[in-house]
Amino acid sequence: SHIYKKNHDVTKTWRGKTEQLLRVDDHDFTMRPAFGGPAIPVGVDVQVESLDSISEVDMDFTMTLYLRHYWRDERLSFPSTTNKSMTFDGRLVKKIWVPDVFFVHSKRSFIHDTTTDNIMLRVFPDGHVLYSMRITVTAMCNMDFSRFPLDSQTCSLELESYAYTDEDLMLYWKNGNESLKTDEKISLSQFLIQKFHTTSRLAFYSSTGWYNRLYINFTLRRHIFFFLLQTYFPATLMVMLSWVSFWIDRRAVPARVSLGITTVLTMSTIITGVNASMPRVSYIKAVDIYLWVSFVFVFLSVLEYAAVNYLTTVQERKERKLRERFPCTCGISHSKTMMLDGNYSESDANSLAGFTRNQMVPEEEKQEKMVVHLAMSNESNSSRNRGLKGHVGLRIIQNTHAIDKYSRLIFPGTYIFFNLIYWSVFS
Amino acid sequence: KREIKMRKLDSTKVRPLKSEQLLRIEDHDFALRPGFGGSPIPVGIDVQVESIDSISEVDMDFTMTLYLRHYWKDERLSFHSNKNKSMTFDGRLIKKIWVPDVFFVHSKRSFIHDTTVENVMLRVYPDGNVLFSLRITVSAMCFMDFSRFPLDTQNCSLELESYAYNEDDLMLYWKHGNKSLSTDEHISLSQFFIEEFSASSGLAFYSSTGWYNRLFINFALRRHIFFFVLQSYFPAMLMVMLSWVSFWIDRRAVPARVSLGITTVLTMSTIMTGVSASMPQVSYIKAVDVYLWISFLFVFLSVIEYAAVNYLTTIEERKQLKKRGKASGLYSIDAVQAMAFDGCFHDTDVDMDLTGFSDRCEENETRASAASISNVDTPRIKRKRSLKGNVGRIILQNNHVIDTYSRIIFPSVYIVFNFFYWGLYI
Repeated sequence: SHIYKKNHDVTKTWRGKTEQLLRVDDHDFTMRPAFGGPAIPVGVDVQVESLDSISEVDMDFTMTLYLRHYWRDERLSFPSTTNKSMTFDGRLVKKIWVPDVFFVHSKRSFIHDTTTDNIMLRVFPDGHVLYSMRITVTAMCNMDFSRFPLDSQTCSLELESYAYTDEDLMLYWKNGNESLKTDEKISLSQFLIQKFHTTSRLAFYSSTGWYNRLYINFTLRRHIFFFLLQTYFPATLMVMLSWVSFWIDRRAVPARVSLGITTVLTMSTIITGVNASMPRVSYIKAVDIYLWVSFVFVFLSVLEYAAVNYLTTVQERKERKLRERFPCTCGISHSKTMMLDGNYSESDANSLAGFTRNQMVPEEEKQEKMVVHLAMSNESNSSRNRGLKGHVGLRIIQNTHAIDKYSRLIFPGTYIFFNLIYWSVFS
Repeated sequence: KREIKMRKLDSTKVRPLKSEQLLRIEDHDFALRPGFGGSPIPVGIDVQVESIDSISEVDMDFTMTLYLRHYWKDERLSFHSNKNKSMTFDGRLIKKIWVPDVFFVHSKRSFIHDTTVENVMLRVYPDGNVLFSLRITVSAMCFMDFSRFPLDTQNCSLELESYAYNEDDLMLYWKHGNKSLSTDEHISLSQFFIEEFSASSGLAFYSSTGWYNRLFINFALRRHIFFFVLQSYFPAMLMVMLSWVSFWIDRRAVPARVSLGITTVLTMSTIMTGVSASMPQVSYIKAVDVYLWISFLFVFLSVIEYAAVNYLTTIEERKQLKKRGKASGLYSIDAVQAMAFDGCFHDTDVDMDLTGFSDRCEENETRASAASISNVDTPRIKRKRSLKGNVGRIILQNNHVIDTYSRIIFPSVYIVFNFFYWGLYI
């Protein structure tokens, strides 16, 4: 025979099951409280746990929040001497009526379900119900990037009942503006969260009518520091590096050209780097303005050197023609003859007989040099026509082209001026 | 035909009853907690961490897999037994009895593993004690501070709390105090060193719902520096040293020094972009940023230094020519310098004027070769020694004084900076 021992549990006061207690069998969960009568008011309370991420490319944000509903359902009232509420977990939710709130413009959302569904139901003796759940929702936010990265974005999360219009369910913020609370340590790495506030409105759908809609609005201001370090500062340095070219001797053709070209290449890389993490919008962003103007500066420094080079060549050709009119050893045009020794020659350089000897030149070289000397002296007159006087010499001594001189002042001045205008407009 | 049914005597089978009958499931209302309406039920928690799967800086979260065990007493589940042995059930019975609704606060995604069946265990003792065990993977938020990245230590914690039952209904506590938290021996991360695991508990207040018990699993992670030394610090250091090579090259080699400086600037810029790619976009400066930007500054300054040297050399040259006073317009430049200016190869010294340069290298070459092959054995020509000593000395002074000082100043300042940096952060 089996002996059943009945354990006497002093902690247990209710012997009935919940279903019996709350009269769930009589409760038709498809019918809202006061069905056929006035609209049922449902209060909403939100505690934002975290803002997980803001995505510019997708133009959305992800938020985790505790969503609480408060309403009154007489069918759930039960007799109680202590007036204390009863707390149940999520499995009872399937058997009673709950409001069908959804997030308008949400892309993905889910109720967390570890270890069980994160849902709480608390019923008070007079039929008041508190229904709370923990949700992560990814919702759309239209962002305007015309002042990126010195911009502020305003996003909002919208709650609405899916089935019940204004006449059946009235959604309202339970405590007005204090219905929205945030955890203390809610923070984003890239943004400063300026404020959270709530609003409510009515939304009209032509096929179904007017619905109550609640809004959770927040404003995010972007931190500029990262972009200063990543984009603005390298661009400024590249522009400054391109100015170095104006101080280098204009005869150093490969040096100045490679300097200009490499700065253009680096600017191009910076520009591509910024656009990788941005959506492809059809207007110009603030950072685009800065980068493209800097790119133009760098580009102009390359063009400036091309102009200097071209004008120098033209000048030199003119001089050569000028010299050719005088029968002198200048016919061996200056730049075209091979010189002999590495020493600085202070004598009439065109009188090829008067070359100083570089003592450190080895014997073979000296031989060669003398040969060239002779060759040249055979070809030309020894007397040099000093027809070319001061002004040609002066021009020759002048290493720096006028364009370079002006550029050294104009380029930095214009760039600083542009910076002043840019930062005052956008900050 | 007669069917013979043989009844096998199964000695292992003691109870021919179903578990539902045994545990009196039909009477058990899973919506009511044990001791409903009375004092709060104590639920003990025990955790064994199986692995820390990943730590993500960009998302600022971590992923952990753990075995979560709950211990509580429910008289409704007590059954008669003379051996005092427990009965073990799998996960499908969970749906019919009451279990605590523990969740992970600040978790982003989590799931109970369900291969091959739900990884859930239920063990009931005759007196009603229940052991409920789950295997869960959870991704939870961890606020990270990167101001000392990559020489940083991060403190993260996983928080457990009951969702519906506050302090008056359910008391959550660590079953064995600080020893409730155990880890697998070979738990390790590639990028971090796990310093310690510790358990703590606290209370959390929600204004609408009251006070809840919260349990914390805290762990500290120290980042391994080696990867970043190899990936960022070492290349940056090499680029700076490469830029110093420019001070030892002849200052007349203009394209060489300029392209050396520019290419090191470009490489430093690439290294800096590479580091920021895998990092969140924080609004403060990180330790690695400090190092890379100062190295960039050194490289940039070496380019500026050469611009200064070149400019001063040009001015010096002009002064020398003015001093000579001859409007001859011709002076000799040695082959190296000529090559430096126009990029054409000269094998002997060139006669150049100060404004022009070869626009056609071939012309130059042919004339040079023509000049050299004719008249090989002519007698010597006496050269006029009009140049004096001091001019020669100035011309022969190939090293500008700035270069000489830079060779010492740049390396020593960089070494001092390194001492400060590593002393401060390590």
